[in-house]
Amino acid sequence: MRYRLLAATGVLALAAGLTACGSSSPSTGSSGGADPGTAGSGTAPAKLTVWVMRDSFSDALLDRFAAGYRKDHPGVTLDIQIQEWDGIGQKVTSGLASNDAPDVIEVGNTQVAEYAASGGVRDLTDKIADLGGADWLPGLAEPGKIDGHQYGIPWYAANRVVIYNKDLFAKAGIAAPPRTRDEWITATGRLDKGGDQGIYLAGQNWYTLAGFIWDEGGDLAVKEGDTWKGALDTPQALAGMDFYKKLQALGDGPKDSDEANPPQIDVFAKGDVAQLIATPGAAVAIEKANPKLAGRLGFFPIPGKTADRPGAVFTGGSDLIIPEASRNPEAAYEVVKALAGEKFQLDMAKEMSYVPNRVSLGSALSGSEGTAAMAAGAANGHATPNSPNWAAVEAKNVIKEFMTKALTSGDPAAEARAASQTIATILNTKS
Amino acid sequence: MTVLGSRPAATAAHPAAPGDRAVRAVRAVPRARRARRRVRRVPLNLAALAVLAVSVFPVYWMAVTAFTPTRDIQSTTPSFWPAHPTLAHFATAVGADGFGLFWRNSLLVTLSAVLLSLVVALPAACAVARMRWRGRRGFVLMVFIAQMAPWEALLISMFIIARDTGLLDKLAMLTLIYFMTTLPFTIVTLRGFLAAIPGELEEAAMMDGASRAGAFRRVVLPLLAPGLMSTSLFGFITAWNEFAFANALIIKNQDDRTLPVWLSSFGNIFGTDWGATMAAASLFMLPVLLIFLVLQRRVVSGAFAGAVKG
Amino acid sequence: MSLTSVTQPVPAAARRLARAWPYILVAPAVAGTCFLLLYPLLRSVVISFQHFRTGELIRGGAAFVGLENYRQVLGDAEFWTVVRRTFVWTAVNVALIMLISTLVALMIARLGPRMRLAVMSGLVLTWATPVLAATTIFQWMFQSRLGVVNWLLVRVGLDGFQGHTWFADGTSTFAILVMLVVWQSVPFAAITLYAGLTTIPAELDEAARIDGAGPFQVFRDVTFPILRPLFGLITSLEVIWVFKCFAQIWAISGGGPDGATTTLPIYAFQIAQSLHKYDLGSAISTLTVLILIVALIAHMRRMLRHEGEVA
Repeated sequence: MRYRLLAATGVLALAAGLTACGSSSPSTGSSGGADPGTAGSGTAPAKLTVWVMRDSFSDALLDRFAAGYRKDHPGVTLDIQIQEWDGIGQKVTSGLASNDAPDVIEVGNTQVAEYAASGGVRDLTDKIADLGGADWLPGLAEPGKIDGHQYGIPWYAANRVVIYNKDLFAKAGIAAPPRTRDEWITATGRLDKGGDQGIYLAGQNWYTLAGFIWDEGGDLAVKEGDTWKGALDTPQALAGMDFYKKLQALGDGPKDSDEANPPQIDVFAKGDVAQLIATPGAAVAIEKANPKLAGRLGFFPIPGKTADRPGAVFTGGSDLIIPEASRNPEAAYEVVKALAGEKFQLDMAKEMSYVPNRVSLGSALSGSEGTAAMAAGAANGHATPNSPNWAAVEAKNVIKEFMTKALTSGDPAAEARAASQTIATILNTKS
Repeated sequence: MTVLGSRPAATAAHPAAPGDRAVRAVRAVPRARRARRRVRRVPLNLAALAVLAVSVFPVYWMAVTAFTPTRDIQSTTPSFWPAHPTLAHFATAVGADGFGLFWRNSLLVTLSAVLLSLVVALPAACAVARMRWRGRRGFVLMVFIAQMAPWEALLISMFIIARDTGLLDKLAMLTLIYFMTTLPFTIVTLRGFLAAIPGELEEAAMMDGASRAGAFRRVVLPLLAPGLMSTSLFGFITAWNEFAFANALIIKNQDDRTLPVWLSSFGNIFGTDWGATMAAASLFMLPVLLIFLVLQRRVVSGAFAGAVKG
Repeated sequence: MSLTSVTQPVPAAARRLARAWPYILVAPAVAGTCFLLLYPLLRSVVISFQHFRTGELIRGGAAFVGLENYRQVLGDAEFWTVVRRTFVWTAVNVALIMLISTLVALMIARLGPRMRLAVMSGLVLTWATPVLAATTIFQWMFQSRLGVVNWLLVRVGLDGFQGHTWFADGTSTFAILVMLVVWQSVPFAAITLYAGLTTIPAELDEAARIDGAGPFQVFRDVTFPILRPLFGLITSLEVIWVFKCFAQIWAISGGGPDGATTTLPIYAFQIAQSLHKYDLGSAISTLTVLILIVALIAHMRRMLRHEGEVA
């Protein structure tokens, strides 16, 4: 303790010297100072920071929410910050560990457990009734609940569909969207002509690969008794990878990066790409990037092996958490309540085509082509292997690197064996 | 290095020494041999051109791409000269969210760190180069080991320290860290320069009645100017580039981010727009280049001469 | 030296002040180093003896586990692979840097004044290129579809490089990183060596030549022995810089593909920041510093001996 104090004075002394050099003034007294607008004084003016992931929502939607919130809660300023997916684990952990954390954070539904286990997330169990929790989507509520405590508040769900460019489909003479994998490959091959790309599929889009593997009856990893086994080297998984390779070749997607790098939305927005695999909400960003495409986009579920059953998809979605270190927990809860509330949920469902957090709001989805495609796919939804170590498999890019090698080297089976080995090692590590 | 340090400052005073030698040699030989010599120099000059091309090409390529319209960048045959030069990419880069702000933050942090580092390093370098005291060797060893510090490994302890002192999310903390990353090199280099300035000059000035501080200011400081400039240049480059701490310690105050953090998300901002990406890289490089141009040859020869004697 | 020579018979208090001067002058530097380097370093070492994960970072209260983290790190085969790779990485880079910069320095010394200025300016331009900018440029040059390198290779008849993905393969990513680091490091080493060359009296050179020595022998018998300390200094600086190299590797490959470019600093960063195992990451960092110190101990001893002579 004494060391810490010593260091603190030293650093502060140096910082004080700095101020003289014209640097930004460090507020030396803030470390133990009073927290403005905390519990009890909910009406005091406060600035709340909300972290939302890139491309989760359109700017217009967020602006609308912020404006409405300001009107209903005078004195509260919302600072909505867009976070990049790259390195988000480190960022959120730093936020949770700081003294002045962001007040509300969007977290992928599968990641709530990891953050909650660290003790930095506020337990919101007593608010379930207030938020209408009886009606929550299980796919969002369950992952947000750890040992009977609700840390993550369900926000929205979505799964991937195929977004297509109607003009390019018409040009290639394709009247109806494909309904089986064979039709899909044939159609994409016809679209991949001249300067146009049949499909833009980055080499490391592993959620899409997972869907193909589930279609074949395989999985990413399986638990046998108490030990995990990587399953990328099973015949089913290799068949899924083989299909991915065939599809990926019908466009210019880079084999060595994922869909975020470069952002696939920007690539598609150029107008010479016929198809894209994304959540329906991506269409909003595409139309914003290239207004000429407005109204020219269509949607269909990822085709399965037979026409009667769409392709399997990963059920994705987000929860909201409030860090323990938020200086305005009461005010933060009000924001969560508004974001999880009916008004925003309906607005969001309409604009972004997401599935709302409550089952009873599902009717809001009917009518839009994107959501119809998504709902059809959702019937065949899957989740990633249920292990607290799964985050480490993702962080080490095991599947992504396997995909690049399978796409570029001659022996996918050997690469799959090596990757499965790595997955097993990670999943069986005691943390 | 003692061996070199004891020599007169040959480099700075006669930067063209080998050239002189060549001239002398040429004069001494008859014309026929001179011609033969010129022929012999052809491969040498070709090698020089190759070195020049390899060292310049990447930067040249960046500049060309930054000025080339997207249509030409996307074509299958690259153009090695912007046939239709455009400033559109620079407009995109400058117009991107927060570019000006982050640029300013970077400049502020970098300049403060370099200045602080000079102010702290100069007295220390004097003590090492000019005075005899117990613990001097230990101090030199500490400075050398400090150069080996694995900075990225200190991320988490720096985070904890910043948090416990209320300096998280503050540019001041970044400034302090950059100050520390440049300090060891600054001390070592300044010491090399000081060692090359004869102590007799100061003594002579003091005989004439100048105070110790006055002698230092009027005699040593002017001679030290190139050294100060070249070390600050090195410090500038180091701090200007730093990414890991800027990324880890600025969490909630997004307006306090620095340029490298912003640059690292190039892909997220410009996507496949390589023109804008290269324009942004050019703008990132610009301050360093400007400083080089302003301080020019004096500093460059000084920088490396300092290192020789360091 | 100047301190003692000016001392007149002065009062004891003044003499004590004079003796205190060097300590006053180095005090800020020492204080800065203690608080901003030594203290964080100590904390990092302490963490390496604790169980310190996300929970401990947020809640505090980490428990000491003795050497458990070190046992885990040293018992992991991957660690030793990474150590080996780091040595290969350092050796390849430093060897190339020293070889190329020696050749370039010798070449500059023989050039005409105008050509010399041109080459030096080119080198300085390279040296001035910020790391992140250089990294981005190299990514662009080696881009698979529009990159100038693939275009060039196809142009000279290697059609196989049409759309070649350089960063998919471990060896080629490693090679590109070596190219990048060597490209960035040669200017400093070459110009410093050239500055050293200019301090060698021309007569020594000529005398050796008259004795019938070829250019290689002149270098081996005259140039190199004189510049040996300078070679030592530059080599050890490059060893430090290349061994610790982080930003370039992280920005281009993040240690991949499949760990082919994971060196010790990258490994420590991945373990600590991506996997949130701060304790193991700290242990790896501590080991990294120890390895570096051992590798450079000979140089440090030589340096300290020189300090003794100067004093």
